[in-house]
Amino acid sequence: MTSAGGKKFGMAEFIFLLSVLILVVIVALPVILIFWTSFIVDGHLNMKAVMDTIMQEETFQALKMSIMIAACVTVTCTFVGTLFAWLVTRTDLPFKETMKVLFTVPFMLPAFIGALAWKMLLSPRAGYINQLWMAITGTRSALFNIYGFWGIVIIETMYLFPFVFIQVSGALERMDPTLEESARISGAGLFTITRKITIPLIMPAVVAGALLVCLYSLSHFGTPAILGTEVGIYTIPTMIYELIHQSAGSFTAIRAATVLSVVLVLSAAIILYAQNRVIKSGRFQIIAGKSVRPTVLKLRGLRMPLFILCCVYLLITVVMPTVTIFLVGFLNTYGLPLALENMSWENYRYVLFEWKLTKDAIWNSAYLSLSAAFVTMIAGGIISYVLVKLKVRGKWFLEFLGMLPFSLPGTVIALGVILTWSGRFGVNLYNTAWIIFVAYIARYMAFSLKSNSAALEQVHDSLVEASRASGATPWQSLRDVVIPLIRPGMVAAFFLIFLPALRELTTSVLLYGPTTRTIGVAIYTLNEDGETVYACALAGIALLLIVGGEILIKRFFEKKRRVDNGGA
Amino acid sequence: MKKFFAAALLVSMIFVSSAAMAAEKLTVYTSMKDSLIGALKDEFLKQHPDIEFDAYVAGAGKLMAKIAAEREAGKLVVDVLWHSEVPDFYQLKKEGVLQAYKSPNAKFVDSPVEDPDGYFTPARNGTLGIVYNTRFIKTAPKSWKDVLGADYKDAFGIADPALSGTAYGSVAALAKIYGWEYFENIQKNGGILGKGSGQVIDDTAMGDLVACIGVDYITMGKIKKGATLAMAYPKETIVLPSPVAIIKGTPNLSAAQKFVDFLLSKEGQQIIANNYTLPVRDDVTMPADSPLPKPHDAVVNAIKLDFENMSSQKEATIKQFKDIMRPGK
Repeated sequence: MTSAGGKKFGMAEFIFLLSVLILVVIVALPVILIFWTSFIVDGHLNMKAVMDTIMQEETFQALKMSIMIAACVTVTCTFVGTLFAWLVTRTDLPFKETMKVLFTVPFMLPAFIGALAWKMLLSPRAGYINQLWMAITGTRSALFNIYGFWGIVIIETMYLFPFVFIQVSGALERMDPTLEESARISGAGLFTITRKITIPLIMPAVVAGALLVCLYSLSHFGTPAILGTEVGIYTIPTMIYELIHQSAGSFTAIRAATVLSVVLVLSAAIILYAQNRVIKSGRFQIIAGKSVRPTVLKLRGLRMPLFILCCVYLLITVVMPTVTIFLVGFLNTYGLPLALENMSWENYRYVLFEWKLTKDAIWNSAYLSLSAAFVTMIAGGIISYVLVKLKVRGKWFLEFLGMLPFSLPGTVIALGVILTWSGRFGVNLYNTAWIIFVAYIARYMAFSLKSNSAALEQVHDSLVEASRASGATPWQSLRDVVIPLIRPGMVAAFFLIFLPALRELTTSVLLYGPTTRTIGVAIYTLNEDGETVYACALAGIALLLIVGGEILIKRFFEKKRRVDNGGA
Repeated sequence: MKKFFAAALLVSMIFVSSAAMAAEKLTVYTSMKDSLIGALKDEFLKQHPDIEFDAYVAGAGKLMAKIAAEREAGKLVVDVLWHSEVPDFYQLKKEGVLQAYKSPNAKFVDSPVEDPDGYFTPARNGTLGIVYNTRFIKTAPKSWKDVLGADYKDAFGIADPALSGTAYGSVAALAKIYGWEYFENIQKNGGILGKGSGQVIDDTAMGDLVACIGVDYITMGKIKKGATLAMAYPKETIVLPSPVAIIKGTPNLSAAQKFVDFLLSKEGQQIIANNYTLPVRDDVTMPADSPLPKPHDAVVNAIKLDFENMSSQKEATIKQFKDIMRPGK
């Protein structure tokens, strides 16, 4: 605190130590306790109980289904996300700036709300679309039955593809277009350029996005719970949920659930290993300190058809389910025809102004997601710096630690957090908002690490070296060179955490106390309790909050960016 | 950027300060829907304005899972437990989690279940009937076996007994009088395993299901709002008491006892009756438009269940039911 230089260095060191501490205490400890609870029974290693759970026919089926769904969703999301990212960044698609914003909208829609909306649209007997179809064709068979494997895959794709889209469109924008231009000047055709230059350059972003989708889908609870269980399709997360709710006061079922989660941890390890191999085989630094606008490909005859495709896609994935949610929210009771005489503002009024449960939920979600996103963004940024820029032995393990909670179902993170933070180590956060806060940091650290390290990987070491050679301290070069360059990555990390956390369900559903319900919990429990119209009204309000909040924050950043550019 | 960080920090600090303010309060864990517990809470707070009251509403399975986690953690937050899965109360009593309390109002209680030691007291008798959508089913079913007919093909739902205490009770009751083949026949007729006890009713209102086994007051609440539903009670009535119990070691014992007294009082029971579920006292007036049987008749015609031993069979019963109902088996 005495000299200015000493203070700055001390600050950097302090933040670094704090971040490492966060990773170990908030992320590693719950995971270790989950393993401990799984394998250690009464102080002894019990492999037989573990194997018994894993070898059960039902468990095996659920595992198979989880992997099949995750694989299909990853493939479709990668394709859809990359295609749209390319269209809005590198072509002359009409209104592409607007389209770029619109394509991140599905990310704001919680997948389980989407599943809910699509259940109302496409359930075999009563779905609005299926009813319409039956009325038009005069048949008694549905157009499409949303319950089942393909329904789950389609819905998850609709709402998870922005993971890929955001990563890839960011990479395409940051990419140095002179590389492509020099290839073109050297006589390479479009196909060769795409194959040899563009794809290798955006590969880390594609893989990062695909990996996020794959892990998210593996541990995603909402969609398979709504669209799968009723037709006998179980995934590992829904299986765990079932097990836990059969516990009836005993801890054995919870232990069995943690055993199942170990299976997911192993799957995550395999995926991470594969990802590591891909990234190692082609590591490129593509921000070179120059700023050039990328060239734009003319779509010519395909311009309008592709534009229409984008519009139809958005109409189906965003507009239709959203409209359904809002309209059903107006109904006096679920099941009445969507006619004006059956509608009123009553549900919205009740949810917004009268019902303490829903009012609490909105406030809790708002401050929990903001503070968790903020803390996780900072901590993740600095841990990423250690991982990407410093050559430390065994840092792969550190990264694995950071990715670990993401591959665990939120349910199991919740269990791990309960095991850790309810008095065992002298701190009891149980039934407070803090325990959800801690779980959110653990759960979303992976988002922050991925986004920050993807950004850091593109910052060439020469920039830091140049600033160091000019006499900057490590902290100064971090602050004045690295952080401004990776700021888009950090901002991306913030939104990647803030938006999902705002409507988080799987973790908070096991952690909420009487006054700490989150929006996701409130909507899901209202739906499960058969309060469909209230669930829809709250979901509608939540959507407005999420979209409105995002627009506000985006505005703020854009204004700030303009000021920065003007000053430079 | 700085402004934004400052704003985020500010929010974090508000969060810190709001989390730090925690007053003493009575916490009730219950499976009663908000319409019912909300009405009871309002009246209770009118009588006891000094008590801070919080209700945590979830299905019985979720409540028990939460209590299990709390017990593992060594810190119970719940003061009063009130849900519809009687076996759980016997189990908790055996494990020494409950505090005995004989309310002065307990002597008025008329219910199929009674704990002579006073560890729990039924505060409401839930009834389940056949809930059907009048757009699809024109003649009211009279017997539980009517749902095996063609009208109900592929569209008769039962809530998940792992999630809902009333669903578990009704499965046990119907298995007792008709045997497991009853559910095998339902499955053959395309019966559907639903989720929460309220959700199957909403699915029925929507037409995804044409009928389901449904809880009285949830159904009636929807009928009041215009849903095209009706409720039929076969003579063999499923009556599932919802006991209330105080958790041992609660720091809010006197508030908890006041709440139990209130629940069993005539005023409390009248609120229960007004919400279209069955009171445990005969001296309250049932609403004129209620399809429910009279409190005492329901207890007399109730399918007799061995609630005390149901807890040991619970896991096996749920597993057997799910193995039968799970599609593709």
